[in-house]
Amino acid sequence: MDALVILIPLMPLVAAMVIGLGHLFGAIDGEAGESLSADIASWAISMSCLLSLALLGADFLGKNAGSYMIGHWLNSDTLDIPFSFITSGFNVHLAALFSVLLAIIIRFSINYMHREAGYHRFFFILSLFSSAMLLLVLSGNVVLTFVGWEVAGLCSYFLIAYAYDRPVAVLNATRVFVTNRIGDAGLMLGAGFSFAWVGSVNWNTINAAAAQLTSGEATSLALCFAVAAFAKSAQLPFTPWLARAMEGPTPSSAVFYGAVMVHAGVFLVILLRPIFEQAPLAMALVALVGLLTAVYSFVIGLTQTDVKSSLIFATSGQLGLMYLECGLGFWQLAGWHLCAHAAVRSYQFLTAPSLMHNERCLNSEFPTRNIPAWLYVASLQRFWLDPIVDWALVKPVRGLAHDLSYFDDHVIDCMMGAPAPAIRAISSLAQLEEQRIGAQLDNDSDQFAQGSGLAGKITQWMAAILHWFEERFVLRGIGKDAINYGRDLGHIANKFEQAVLRPRYLVLFVLITLLVAF
Amino acid sequence: MGILSILLWTPAVGALLLASVPGKNIRLIRYIANLFAAIAFLLVCWLLSNYNAHDAELQFNEYFPLNPRLGSAYALGVDGLSMPMLVLATLLTAMALLASFTVSSSVKGYHVCILLLEFGMLGVFLAQDWALFYIFWEVTLIPLFFLIGRWGGKRRHTASLNFVLYTMGGSVFMLISLLAISQYDLEHGGSLMSSMHQAAQDMPRFEQVLVLLGFVIGFGVKMPIFPLHGWLPLAHVEAPSPVSILLSGILLKMGAYGLIRAVVMLPEAAKLLQPYLIFLGLFGMLYGGLLAWRQSDLKAMIAYSSISHMGIVLLGIATLNEIGITGAVLQMSAHGLIAGALFLLVGLLYERTHTRNIQDYRSLIQVMPRFTLFMTLTLLAAMGLPGSVGFIAELHTLIGGFSAFASLGLGLVVMVFFSVSMLIGAAYAIRTISLLFTGPKSPLPPLFQKGARGDFQLEDLKTPELLAAGILVAGIVLFGLVPAPLLALSSATISQMNTVISQRIL
Repeated sequence: MDALVILIPLMPLVAAMVIGLGHLFGAIDGEAGESLSADIASWAISMSCLLSLALLGADFLGKNAGSYMIGHWLNSDTLDIPFSFITSGFNVHLAALFSVLLAIIIRFSINYMHREAGYHRFFFILSLFSSAMLLLVLSGNVVLTFVGWEVAGLCSYFLIAYAYDRPVAVLNATRVFVTNRIGDAGLMLGAGFSFAWVGSVNWNTINAAAAQLTSGEATSLALCFAVAAFAKSAQLPFTPWLARAMEGPTPSSAVFYGAVMVHAGVFLVILLRPIFEQAPLAMALVALVGLLTAVYSFVIGLTQTDVKSSLIFATSGQLGLMYLECGLGFWQLAGWHLCAHAAVRSYQFLTAPSLMHNERCLNSEFPTRNIPAWLYVASLQRFWLDPIVDWALVKPVRGLAHDLSYFDDHVIDCMMGAPAPAIRAISSLAQLEEQRIGAQLDNDSDQFAQGSGLAGKITQWMAAILHWFEERFVLRGIGKDAINYGRDLGHIANKFEQAVLRPRYLVLFVLITLLVAF
Repeated sequence: MGILSILLWTPAVGALLLASVPGKNIRLIRYIANLFAAIAFLLVCWLLSNYNAHDAELQFNEYFPLNPRLGSAYALGVDGLSMPMLVLATLLTAMALLASFTVSSSVKGYHVCILLLEFGMLGVFLAQDWALFYIFWEVTLIPLFFLIGRWGGKRRHTASLNFVLYTMGGSVFMLISLLAISQYDLEHGGSLMSSMHQAAQDMPRFEQVLVLLGFVIGFGVKMPIFPLHGWLPLAHVEAPSPVSILLSGILLKMGAYGLIRAVVMLPEAAKLLQPYLIFLGLFGMLYGGLLAWRQSDLKAMIAYSSISHMGIVLLGIATLNEIGITGAVLQMSAHGLIAGALFLLVGLLYERTHTRNIQDYRSLIQVMPRFTLFMTLTLLAAMGLPGSVGFIAELHTLIGGFSAFASLGLGLVVMVFFSVSMLIGAAYAIRTISLLFTGPKSPLPPLFQKGARGDFQLEDLKTPELLAAGILVAGIVLFGLVPAPLLALSSATISQMNTVISQRIL
């Protein structure tokens, strides 16, 4: 049964490829293609849903070996990265749960997205995202998990910026992506440390070697992975990204990262339980961050006035509680909490758009009257977390970038040359006319191959010299001149021939021959 | 009659068959030509599946004495060096035929010539006898002369004449070298590659150097090596696009292939000439790159970039170590795929617009998204971006070149030259991408205004074109991500060659 595990992330990936290529080549296009694109996506995710349920069943019956390896992806000296998967325990439970949720969400989106612009793009990203999530939870080593982790982050970027013609959506998507990259750095660093200290990137090997690690190593490793998990699960101080992510135009995309992807962080911590148990400091940090996030989200949730925002802060609060459970050592509880929360939250997100419809008499009673005014303001402002981050991180980075840009403009560009603008904008009417009649007077290659800056100029001069050499010697010298010389030579030979054939010379030759003969 | 003979004669039979078809039946002619090219490709695939990559020796040998007094023989065989070239040759011929649907004048002659050209190319890569090799080497010239001179651009007559004169001039030197070696082959008196190999050992050192110089000139014209490349820009620009695919994809590789065989035959001489060859390779890389950067004609740019890329091959061969030669062999396959794809795509663009000047284009992504995808991927591969097969080859060559020159204490020089030429390669590739595909949609040059209402109309790639471009680009990306099969195909042969070289040098 273990071999099934390959197909689970593969099916949505294939679906994504088929939709993407089909759309690129025009086979799937427009409203006529909507059902095809939807069918492909939903069939693929249904198949991997069934497969993961089968895998789950096999796991309960004890028929799985626990891990499955197809082959090697990268093999260099002691670094060996296999295509390996984990086929038992928590990973499989989560894969089954996620695939069921993903299947439901895709089914929901088919009707919800009907006649939206970018329908095919949406299902392409959705399938890719499903594949990445399933790879993330099933993979047997850090690198493959990282692949899933990154692709999922990228897909959430695409989904948030789904309406990419709206600047706000793009801004939020970028912000979310950049915030997530901090976590990615943690995961990368963790992968590097585990290769350095454990000598392997396989989850099972890392966990098995937990006991041999010194407490310093275990703590560093746990902290790296904890940072990755915090960023992905929107824990403090990364929480604001989750609210920005609600820019995604549809509840279905919101579910994707709001109710599925955010759990990846908790999953990572639970997966690395042995490492965390070796690192009390990291455990304490996890508990503290979880607690703070839970409180923070609760307070902010009090003042939210729209469905998506209140749901999202409830989500981050619940995730905080999961981290608290992990940090206190209630691993089993955290696992159950994760599964239950994913299911409930997905339901809530999916019903969010029809909430207004169903509950006509929403009472306008907010439970915020009893809290002190300062807390109320803080809650409304979400504890100024975004401005603080802007002030503490974005502003200095921007200042540094500004200085570097000055240096770049005034020093580097003079040395190395600025890239030529790709668009030769047409500035005058005369140029426009010139373009129109196709004259292009300023169009010879000398004008074309222009460099700027010192390096650019050197390149330009070098190229000009070589061009002259090429023209004069290689092309004209051998190609034309040689032929011309040959022709001249031929003319001379012809003349000589004609001269020789004149009667007086002919007679002379005959005479000479006769003389020699006798 | 073995599999290799069947493979070799398939295109020839196809050409003969075509000759008997009436010239007006254009569809039948195209069908037959494509069929035979496909058969040849399938035969090579079958060969590939039966080929034992762990065996360094020649496989599927065939031997039949032709002229016992001279010792020449009809000897065919395949090893790790010729196997990738065979795949490339048949694949690119099939692709070139797929791209030839727009040839409309004397279709019959065109297809006969292409099939004959394939026959010649297969012969060069299959022959294990220098006499046979030389015959096939010359056989490729005849159809090419007609293909360029008959179906080419404006200056086609000059181009084809120039090409043939250059190559003939080079092959005279090659012939002299071959005769010189065969004089020392007293025991066998033959011209088999394996026996010539023995004969070359008995030559005096000075004569070995002279003979190798002859080979370098002969193969260098075809490859081309820096000062001998005069025919190439003209021929590439003037040849019809499918012929450019074959010319840059396979015919240039014949030179490199021959040079590797010659270097293995005369390693001591190669060791003496090594610094000069490395210098020529590096200089050729820079020279081709800089000139490519100057060209505003797309085809001329690709032609000069070919000189730059074949400089990498020469550098790899001249390193005389295993990793460098591996790089050279990889670069041969990589450049075959990349240059083939580039010429294919540029040819398709030219058919639609009838201009090759890069400055006439902009913002093609809005009208030709599929073309944009393939062209961008190929150009990125041409600059050696990781994830494309070009990177794998260049990295091997760079490491090989570094270790070869490190013994002379000049490893840094190689690195600097190499990096600068990579940089120039990136400059023209990226500039091409930005000029072709980006920018505002209007106002547009007059040549695009073909639509009924004067709007912007250009047809994107059609299905056969898509198939041809897709296969090549898929190969580029696939072997870039998973290079192990390509490496394994020739590793046994290369390591054996390396043993031979290092034994003889020490």
